[in-house]
Amino acid sequence: MIRITGGKVYDPANGINGQVRDICLAGGKVVADVDGGRTIDATGLVIMPGGVDIHTHVAGGSINFARAMTPEDHRRAVAFIRSQSRRAGLGGMAPTTFATGYLYAGMGWTTVNEAAVPILSAKHTHEELRDVPIVDKSCLVLMANNEIVLDLLQAGELERARHVVAWQIWASKAYGVKAVNPGGVAAWKWGQDAKQLSDPIAGYHTLTPGAIIKGLAQIVDELGLPHPLHLHCNNLGAPGNVTTTLESMKALEGHRAHMAHLQYHAYGGDDWSTMRSETVQLAEYFNAHPNLTTDAGAVLFGDTVTITADGPWQHLLYKLTGRKWGNLDVENETGCGIVPYSYRPSNLVNAVQWAAGLELLLLIDDPWRVFLTTDHPNGACFWRYPEIIQLLMRNDFRRECLASITPKARKAIKLPELDREYSLYEIAIITSAGPARALGLKEKGQLGVGADADLVIYHDDPDVLRMFSHPRYVLKAGEIVVEDGDIRATPEGREFLIKPAYDEGIENFLRPLFEDQYTMSFENYPVEVQRIEHPEIRDCMGTE
Amino acid sequence: MGGKVTCTLGEVKNRADFIVFWGGNPAECHPRHFTKYSLMPKGKHVPNGRKDRTVVLVDIRETKSVKAADIFLQVRPGKDFEVLTILRALIKDQAVDPRQVAETGLTLEQLTDLVARMKRAKFGVMFFGMGLSMTRGKHMNSAALLTLAAEMNAFTKFVAMPMRGHGNVTGADVVMRWQTGYPFGINFSRGYPRYNPGEFSTVDLLVRGDADAALILGADPGATMPQPAIDHLARIPTIVLDPKVTHTSRLARVHITTAVTGISAPGTGYRMDEVPIPLRPALKSPYPTDEEVIRRIHEAVCAKPDWIHANGQYTTNQV
Amino acid sequence: MSAIVLRLKDRPAVPLEAEVISPDLLAEMPHADIRAQAVYLGKRRLRLDDLFEVEGERSDQVEVHGDLGQVKWLGRGMSRGSLVVHGNAGMHLGAYMRGGRIEVHGSAGDWLGAEMKNGQIRVQGDAGGQVGAAYRGSLSGMRDGTILIGGSAGLEVGMRMRRGTIVIGGRARDFAGLQMKGGTLVLLGGAEIRAGAWMVRGTIISLQPLTLLPTFTYACRYNPDFLRLYSRFLAPLGIELPVAAQQGSYALYSGDASVPGKGEILVWQPV
Ligand SMILES: [Zn+2]
Repeated sequence: MIRITGGKVYDPANGINGQVRDICLAGGKVVADVDGGRTIDATGLVIMPGGVDIHTHVAGGSINFARAMTPEDHRRAVAFIRSQSRRAGLGGMAPTTFATGYLYAGMGWTTVNEAAVPILSAKHTHEELRDVPIVDKSCLVLMANNEIVLDLLQAGELERARHVVAWQIWASKAYGVKAVNPGGVAAWKWGQDAKQLSDPIAGYHTLTPGAIIKGLAQIVDELGLPHPLHLHCNNLGAPGNVTTTLESMKALEGHRAHMAHLQYHAYGGDDWSTMRSETVQLAEYFNAHPNLTTDAGAVLFGDTVTITADGPWQHLLYKLTGRKWGNLDVENETGCGIVPYSYRPSNLVNAVQWAAGLELLLLIDDPWRVFLTTDHPNGACFWRYPEIIQLLMRNDFRRECLASITPKARKAIKLPELDREYSLYEIAIITSAGPARALGLKEKGQLGVGADADLVIYHDDPDVLRMFSHPRYVLKAGEIVVEDGDIRATPEGREFLIKPAYDEGIENFLRPLFEDQYTMSFENYPVEVQRIEHPEIRDCMGTE
Repeated sequence: MGGKVTCTLGEVKNRADFIVFWGGNPAECHPRHFTKYSLMPKGKHVPNGRKDRTVVLVDIRETKSVKAADIFLQVRPGKDFEVLTILRALIKDQAVDPRQVAETGLTLEQLTDLVARMKRAKFGVMFFGMGLSMTRGKHMNSAALLTLAAEMNAFTKFVAMPMRGHGNVTGADVVMRWQTGYPFGINFSRGYPRYNPGEFSTVDLLVRGDADAALILGADPGATMPQPAIDHLARIPTIVLDPKVTHTSRLARVHITTAVTGISAPGTGYRMDEVPIPLRPALKSPYPTDEEVIRRIHEAVCAKPDWIHANGQYTTNQV
Repeated sequence: MSAIVLRLKDRPAVPLEAEVISPDLLAEMPHADIRAQAVYLGKRRLRLDDLFEVEGERSDQVEVHGDLGQVKWLGRGMSRGSLVVHGNAGMHLGAYMRGGRIEVHGSAGDWLGAEMKNGQIRVQGDAGGQVGAAYRGSLSGMRDGTILIGGSAGLEVGMRMRRGTIVIGGRARDFAGLQMKGGTLVLLGGAEIRAGAWMVRGTIISLQPLTLLPTFTYACRYNPDFLRLYSRFLAPLGIELPVAAQQGSYALYSGDASVPGKGEILVWQPV
């Protein structure tokens, strides 16, 4: 039992904006009152619900591939030293699992959503997630290039596709559905891409990316998944891709959807030399369509490793950088590419990307619909989030940074005209309350009675970067896990799963297809629920 | 710098129309490979199975696998790196001296023909075995093949994959990577993981005599490592966890008999393409699992006073 | 200013990591502090004076005596002063070095001068592998500076080096100049196979015949002017390159075509 007294509370889900309140914690939850227990004097400190990362890549085959490719970065990373209670690990561009938990918690984030899981290697992802301590976890299964689903969509068998998708969500022990470059990864397996929403995909007669997007969004809505279709649009990173993004959004009218890392899909221009930010157009459409949420996928200058299921994009990036390239195609389902990359302020494209991420966060009016992410590790590593918060809260700092980017970029961006500064209340929304709501995790991202006792206590420091990099305390499930930068406890987190309703008979349809196309036995394909550490099966909407 | 471009085995089954085996003998070492993944199966995009695929075998000698191949290229021993490097030049239309090519045991015509076929393929795959990765040049031989496969993607789809040994070598590699960032050859003496093959890899440590104790799990180095390494294992306190008596257990100070993983102990096996396969115990064993033994040793080690004496929980300045 | 003198008491049974033995770190320290510096024997943290007799203080001239073949990271990242080893040195000697001078009156282990930025390392005896190389995964090896090895050297000498000079007095093993990006590698005693493999740029000079990869092309035979200048740079270091036309000439090969690269290999052909 803990009572936190005297802190200024920012709890947007409950409309609390900096009022001084006591918060009581017991049994891992926020409670109305406690009798006895420890008291934390938070006088003069700032309290927020623990951060929620709606889109990150921290566990599974792709990030593990990235780890293998970047020993040079591991050597310069922060190194966690083993103790009786803590495991050794490395931070850096692709942190190791234990370090991932320590770094997220160390910054005040207590829930993370791994955004890309192939069914075939989902066991691997869950084994890694089990080794990510402290934070609670969920993951999204990759669907928009799954050949069994694609064949059904082409045949117009939406009903059966819905059962298959539901079966696959449960088979992979996922929480939601992610669509990456719909059709494009399947085409990549022939060395091609899918760039036009209305063109048939390589290897298919009539199926188009647009049809995949519509079909999956409808299925996700019909299943009542708490998190809508999580869409990584076609044409990621390409100049002029804003057209594709707008078309995708239009295809989604009438459905809920989450547009992943929108920054990477917000460009105008015809080629690399004329690339410009088209965030104004995008934000305008977005502001008028409340069926959508998004995350920034912001970019920060510096070194990182890009990792995405978007194989064609990665091959292009490899050709552009001439550095290392990793690629892994996963049978019948997806693929992933890995390229180490440095974002430089002197580079026009990088400068536009940097500005576009911030512009989206500043141009979208409703903070409840745009969330702080870097598409870790693609735009920057998650442990650099405090730098983005500083950029959002301090216009003068933004201007300083603007002075250091290439002058060529000035006319290609909107950022110099934007003076908006985020308040602490809004920061609490984009880092916690908003993403929790978009994920449908009701007891996260808020501090009302009954909420999970995940919260962070910051110094009220005018130096925003220092404030958000070094919380005074972080509490997870009511336990102090971080105090003044030191890890105090490393409890195991839970994993959220969804078991949508499906006809058990769908296995009779899947089994022969599977045996024909895959290389393992059908029995070995699904992840057994016993393999999940602390599983928590959540309800679909409308079934409560 | 090249890279590593690979796929899961189902992609090979469904798509590969051009398959190269380099320095391996799958017919004898991975008997199910041909039938299950690479040669025989009818795949989604190769409906006629074997007929739709061209198979090339590159090796220093004629093995049983030769019969399964359409083309056999016999390389002179120790010339794999040279051949792969020539191929890298040829795919880019760079000139190579034909007389020097002959020293590899192959002719320029043979290699030019191979390159033309590789470029014509819709989906090419190169498997490589210990005949490549454990001969003179070692990791550079593997790097040459991986780079060639990566560079082939400028022309068509191409992937590469090591044919790894048995005993869940891949699984160890995968787990070490997520826990430490590195696949093998990891040192924890400073309290955090460090990696340097040649310095920290087991065989080098033992040959130099750098270790003063050894805990061996899921391996029989007493049968496979060079004699100086084996001699050192016999000199120092060596502890072996193994279901059966092995060369290593015979020279060990302590042998703990454990249950056989996959037969009487559950777990996960990682296939050579890193696809996880659940292992479900069929039999009960009177012996503890490896995991249980290690867990108990680890608990005892954790109870010992800290010996690292680090200043703080982390360092930003690794050695 | 007299030198700080360290004498190794006994050759350790397991590797000792002693990156603290570097002029930068010891130069401002009083005697008692030097003795108390941490070194790592296997997994154990010990004091420097547990393993070494220590004399002197406050000097950037450091002398070490004894068989230090098991002692790693001597002179790591040093930027000034001198480190003289009377005996053998272990792995990673002078790695990441930025300046100053290291002298070894004995032999040295692998990764000597790895990723060094500047300074000079001279080893009288043999060196291990990866002299002046890039660590695994890094894009570049040594960026500048000079490494002189009197005896032979191991595998992958100068791997991915970008600038600077490496001179090997004896024979180098396989992959000398692997993936070189610049700088000069002088092989007075020649090398085993695959010298210059995958080189992008840079120069390898060998005074002995080399077995080159088929992806190197013979260009011409000549006595380049730059070598005359280069030999003037090497002469004060006690290294002589034959440059006179009456003694012979150099065969020039370019490659590696597999990259394709613009590296140059010069092989001395005496008359
Ligand atoms: Zn992503």
